[in-house]
Amino acid sequence: MRNLISFIIKYSFLFVFLFLEIIAFSLLVSNNSYQRSAYISASNKLTSNIQNTVSETTDYIGLKDVNEKLATENAFLRSQLLESNLWKADSLLQHIDTQKTQFYSYIHSQIISNSFQSRDNYLILDKGISDGVEVEMGVISSDGIVGIVNSVSENFCSVISILHSKSAIDAKITSNKYTGTCFWPGSDYRLGELKNIPSHTKLTKGDTVVTSGNSSIFPPEIPIGFINDFKLKPGRSFYNIEIQYNTDYNRISHVYIIHNLLKGELKKIKEVRDAK
Amino acid sequence: MLNRSFFINILRFIAVVLAQVFIFNKLNFGGIANPMIYPLFIILLPFETNNNLNLIVAFMLGLSVDLFTGSMGLHTSAAVFTAFIRPLAYRVISSNRVYESGIKPGINDLGIRWFISYTFFLVFAHHFFFFYIESFSFNEFWHTLLKIIISTLLSSLFIIILDFIFKPHKK
Repeated sequence: MRNLISFIIKYSFLFVFLFLEIIAFSLLVSNNSYQRSAYISASNKLTSNIQNTVSETTDYIGLKDVNEKLATENAFLRSQLLESNLWKADSLLQHIDTQKTQFYSYIHSQIISNSFQSRDNYLILDKGISDGVEVEMGVISSDGIVGIVNSVSENFCSVISILHSKSAIDAKITSNKYTGTCFWPGSDYRLGELKNIPSHTKLTKGDTVVTSGNSSIFPPEIPIGFINDFKLKPGRSFYNIEIQYNTDYNRISHVYIIHNLLKGELKKIKEVRDAK
Repeated sequence: MLNRSFFINILRFIAVVLAQVFIFNKLNFGGIANPMIYPLFIILLPFETNNNLNLIVAFMLGLSVDLFTGSMGLHTSAAVFTAFIRPLAYRVISSNRVYESGIKPGINDLGIRWFISYTFFLVFAHHFFFFYIESFSFNEFWHTLLKIIISTLLSSLFIIILDFIFKPHKK
């Protein structure tokens, strides 16, 4: 026993090191997407307050850019208003509102913290349960797709960025309507990867890639990026496509959280299908 | 005298964490490298401090950076590893003066050449550990290695510049 104690004391440096590393690794491993919500509500009370102040200041400095962007977006949206269309007398009847059901609504939100340099990136937004945010809502910026909400606390939510090893977004090439899945290979925050496009399709560099709308998380036609480069390895039946993202993930500060109003109904019909 | 160095280290701890989180985390160089300057604190800890205490302080340092960046455990494990490798660093990059009493690691006491190789050694150890834990696999081995090398150069440069700016004046 005495030998054991003197052994431990002699090598205490090594034992303290191993002990602390075990704590650090258990923190690391337990910090998967699910536990993040606990982390946000508990430890983030303090740090998010400080982060908030800093992001308010940096936002103030960037106001000019943001204003310009919002103004162009406003102009674009205004051009889609009913008032800015010329109506032919006979088509007016077909466009009364009772014929439409609103499918998606949007919550405006500000980014509190954003990362793009790690292999797995997350964002934290300043909207939470009290603003109607739920898990698995899509997040877009005015330039395109950003990520999917993975956990929500009272006032904040955490978003898996599309710059994440597990992100997979249903995408569509606008020129030929073929759908594939968009991944992030992790080498450069400006470049993504599009898979499952069959080899018999014709592609051109610069083709735009948008969301397909198959997932009910994102509405269709939200920009993702455009084709930067594509290769077809001999013997493969799918292309290797490199896409350049439309959004500069280094510079985003304001985003919209997408609320799918008919999600419950969609879920119900899927349950009916699966039950059979 | 001990009290004074104690307070200086506490102030340095806070300054290094804040600078890392609010300035250096926002810097990026093409998305590949991001400079990490908080190992500076571990580098500058006095030689006489108990090694076990160094480990615990490094743990707290990494944890504080983790709390801000939301990457629980990642910076913590790398910081503890850096403190663990530190005695090896000043044994390998030896200088006769290391074991004189009252000598602090820094440009003033031990010269620029010694400080650069010592800093480089520790920062490389830190980054090597950090980036391979972050990717958690050797699938992207070469890309991760490139990231490590570029980040090491940048971080060491920043750390040496910071030490130059804040070094105590010679009497």
